[in-house]
Amino acid sequence: MKIIGVAACTVGIAHTYIAQEKLENAGKKAGHEISIETQGTIGTENELSAKQIQEADIVILAADVKVSGRDRFEGKRVIQVPTEVAVKSPNKLIKKVEEVMAQKQ
Amino acid sequence: MEITELLNDHTIKTNMDAKSKEEALNELATLLLDHEYITDIESFMKDIYAREEIGQTGIGNYIAIPHGKSNFVKEIGVAIGINKSEIPWESLDGNGVKVIILFAVGNDNEGAQNHLKLLSMFARKLGNDEVIEKLLLSEKTADVKEAFAN
Repeated sequence: MKIIGVAACTVGIAHTYIAQEKLENAGKKAGHEISIETQGTIGTENELSAKQIQEADIVILAADVKVSGRDRFEGKRVIQVPTEVAVKSPNKLIKKVEEVMAQKQ
Repeated sequence: MEITELLNDHTIKTNMDAKSKEEALNELATLLLDHEYITDIESFMKDIYAREEIGQTGIGNYIAIPHGKSNFVKEIGVAIGINKSEIPWESLDGNGVKVIILFAVGNDNEGAQNHLKLLSMFARKLGNDEVIEKLLLSEKTADVKEAFAN
């Protein structure tokens, strides 16, 4: 499936990027297409394109602060967790995402 | 840009022998002070501890990433300590830590986009299990740099 998401932690210099890396690795390992945007001290990076958002099956928000541009995901299925969940158990989180999608169908 | 540009041989310490979180933070902050990344150790530590209050900086796998933004940072950088033994630390997996990576970042980062970019690339590496394994096994400064090289 196609997963997109945003990572944004309190200070915006460490957890955001660790969460991004872990989620992308876990997603790919489970055979999904995944892209995580980061909103940190440096600003927004790996910004999700309109096409990516449109095609996505589900959105993961791994955030401890307000995600900017959240309205972009209106009408999408969204899972929101604190960044530490993505850092601590990325594989479990991807499993959860798969379960949520399975329920939908 | 290479992540290794961010690393400084003088702010990497292997075989560190800290017995507590406080000792480890002090030792690493002293390296940052000596090599002119920060201007005042006490004030910098206050900002680091303020971030510690918010939540765990032990990210699991014996790694801790104490950080915070501080007005007492002159240049963005990191100090890395590979400790000989596990020390108690608040962490996501309930274990202590052996690798402590202290981030120095200022509040005003104008003109520091390159360094911030490097730092984000560096942080990303810490989400990678292979990098973590190499760090935990590092005996020399060169091993630490090697862990981040690819």
